[in-house]
Amino acid sequence: MPLAVHKKQYAVRELPVRHQSILEYAHFRWLKGALLLSVACAAVYIWHDPPLKPYGGTWLGYTLGTIGALLILWLVWFGVRKRRYATRVGTAQGWLSAHVYLGTALLVVATLHTGFELGWNVHTLAYVLMCLVVFSGFYGVYIYATVPHLMTANRGEDTLDGMLMRVADLDKEIREKALSLPDQILKVVNSSLDGTRIGGSFLRVYSGRDPSCPTAKAVRELPEIGKRLSGDIAKLNHEVYTLLLQKNEILLRARRDIRYKARLDLWLYFHVPLSIALLASLSVHVVSVFLYW
Amino acid sequence: MKLLVITQSRNRAGRTVQVKKEVNADWIRVGRAASSEVLLADPRVALNQGLILDRDGPVYTEGEVGNLTSTTKRAVRSVRLKPGSAVDVGPYKITVLDTPEGYSGAITVELVRPREDVAPEFMSRANKLTLRSLHLPKRLVALALFAVVAVVFFLLPSGRVLDLPWKGEQSIAMASDRFWNPGPVMLAHQPIELKCEACHEVAFVQVRDESCLECHQKIGHHVGQDMKPAALFQGTRCAECHRDHKGVKTTHRDDDRFCVDCHKDVRGRANGAQSQNVSDFEKDHPAFRLSIPVDKGVKRVRMGSGPIEESSNLVFPHEVHLDPKGVRHPDKDKVKLDCAACHKPDASKRTFEPVTMQKHCQECHRLEFEPAVTKRQVPHGLPGDAITVVNEFYANLALNGVKDSFEKAFGVPGEGLLRRVGQPSEAQRQNALALAGKKASQVSEELFEVRVCRACHAILKEDGPDGKPVWNVAKIRANNIWMPHARFDHKSHSQSKCADCHDVAKSKRSQDVAMPKIESCRECHAGSQPSEKKITSNCLLCHGFHEQQHPWDPGFKPKGKTRVAQGASGDR
Repeated sequence: MPLAVHKKQYAVRELPVRHQSILEYAHFRWLKGALLLSVACAAVYIWHDPPLKPYGGTWLGYTLGTIGALLILWLVWFGVRKRRYATRVGTAQGWLSAHVYLGTALLVVATLHTGFELGWNVHTLAYVLMCLVVFSGFYGVYIYATVPHLMTANRGEDTLDGMLMRVADLDKEIREKALSLPDQILKVVNSSLDGTRIGGSFLRVYSGRDPSCPTAKAVRELPEIGKRLSGDIAKLNHEVYTLLLQKNEILLRARRDIRYKARLDLWLYFHVPLSIALLASLSVHVVSVFLYW
Repeated sequence: MKLLVITQSRNRAGRTVQVKKEVNADWIRVGRAASSEVLLADPRVALNQGLILDRDGPVYTEGEVGNLTSTTKRAVRSVRLKPGSAVDVGPYKITVLDTPEGYSGAITVELVRPREDVAPEFMSRANKLTLRSLHLPKRLVALALFAVVAVVFFLLPSGRVLDLPWKGEQSIAMASDRFWNPGPVMLAHQPIELKCEACHEVAFVQVRDESCLECHQKIGHHVGQDMKPAALFQGTRCAECHRDHKGVKTTHRDDDRFCVDCHKDVRGRANGAQSQNVSDFEKDHPAFRLSIPVDKGVKRVRMGSGPIEESSNLVFPHEVHLDPKGVRHPDKDKVKLDCAACHKPDASKRTFEPVTMQKHCQECHRLEFEPAVTKRQVPHGLPGDAITVVNEFYANLALNGVKDSFEKAFGVPGEGLLRRVGQPSEAQRQNALALAGKKASQVSEELFEVRVCRACHAILKEDGPDGKPVWNVAKIRANNIWMPHARFDHKSHSQSKCADCHDVAKSKRSQDVAMPKIESCRECHAGSQPSEKKITSNCLLCHGFHEQQHPWDPGFKPKGKTRVAQGASGDR
């Protein structure tokens, strides 16, 4: 028996050969599930004949509300599940696929639960927060569907660390070579060596740009200054210029890389806090509704 | 091409160590990748940094072949590896040696800038590359949002109802449970909209009927409590039909569903039911039932099964009074009457004021008893009062009458007793009294049985205790509410002529009933489903649900001071 358990525990899962998007996980299993749930809820909603008008307090309203609340709790639980690397309850990919599709279905369930009755109250606050969370999630799906391709294309065979190290390496090489150049050029080159930075502030990280980058400035200015040089100095200047070009190119790519990374991360800074606020307003919604039953 | 590659490095003691390797290939790969023939194991080098090719001797080239992402994507370079020359490849230096015998070339590869040697300045300026390293708050924002929502939308407002330390704290401006209001209440409830606990009296308990009944004290059961159907509604809460916070207009559904659920088989649902099954006004509403006053109480008669007569004990032919040529008038020639001459709308304009003798009949039907002498009339009301007036009149005439009126009234020559000269004798007095009494009896009889009362009333003549006749006017059973369970508003039907529904122009007898049949209503009113050129009409258009006679809860006693009286801004 222990052997069997052992085997099961370490059974090799069949992983798809081709890259498979979480959206098409297990032949769209969760898309089908979410569609089924949405269509079923909508059908019952249309069939339902409420005492006055559809709202959250009819038997269907309570049913939809319960489904919606349980869905929200389960969707929020994803934040815990995704950190449990050792768990064998489903795959992380499957959970994320279900998270996306059932989160979309929640939009249908919760909207039907409201009976399209909205106002300036905590109940609508919960609904609006839910919508914001779901739509920020949609944005996240979009980001995760597009940005990694760009990121891979931009990085190529490098890593961010490798790019940075190469910049540092180029810096050293440039510093050695530039020593023999005239003061005017050395000044421009040194400003690149001492002043070039990457990241450091939200704007620079998220935009992937540094408008005042001294390296870019040096690359722009050096050819003009270098025209007046001749002989070995001109040759050396050209070498330094080539290195600066390389550095500038790596910097562009590195900045683009951190920008992509930031785009991958930023939506979660909305998605997660809004989810927690949703949990609060959902609790208040449920308690206040029954407090003033 | 056969190339000798010497990888040169230094060991810990500082000595140069050389590893020689013979490479035999057409293309010699240079890069970080493990498959490279010239392996430059450093992150600063691209995976496939460059190639050494044979172009009449070895040539080092970068960025040409399948190496789109190398550092030198733009700066393609190609260097001929002549003995003595050197090429910088990242931190490595490739030096070309003299070509040994049997080889196409020889190179040494040396790491000239070790990783530890790289200047740390740039790296120190490149340490905040992710949102996380920028310490962008995620958990803090989440916790703050959670706290704000919990405090503003729950903890403060719940102080209104729960036993929290700040219960009833009026100074907290934000402490308002209006955030909990799920929607506008109906107009009539707006004065108490902000007083949640006027209806939601106990936390976590559904709104109780007592809360409703505090204001709606006179609301009735659907049917009499003594009837069995009352049991059908046992345990039914007001709120099961009436849902507030669903808009300003109404709290219940204005359609037939609730009614028809039971009334499509009302006898099956309730044994004591007197009404017939109905599911729709247009399709299967039974004929109307009329309430007709009889000797004792009121009789309910359904139309359509034989003629219906009322017994009002009045004599009133509508035909005569509505004669298009007019009716006789005591002073004028002829007067044309219409319905409104007698049936005057009441203040609500929905129904009519009762027809009275004084207002509507007496102008023509005067109660004069001695028109030859006087225009005096007997009072309309008790027969005894009329007889007294007649008696007194003739007694007075016999005593005080002037010659002219005495003779006209009594038909004999003479004048009032007291007008003669001298003291009247006892015999004269008896004579005058007998004359007056005889005349009064004669006139009274004529008044009741022939001329005046008889014109409109049924008269019963009996012998009184003193042998004199006593006339009784039969009790009037005028009917003002024919269909007490239906709401009918004459005002909203005022565009129709009276005769459209009440056909009285040919009615010769007061027993005729001129209430409209259901078919008349159906000319304009459809059922609950829309019908061409008709008004969609559901049950509640004509019927109410709650009977008004029975308070909902017989044991209920309203509190002395209702909450409504305190107004919207009153203390909670």
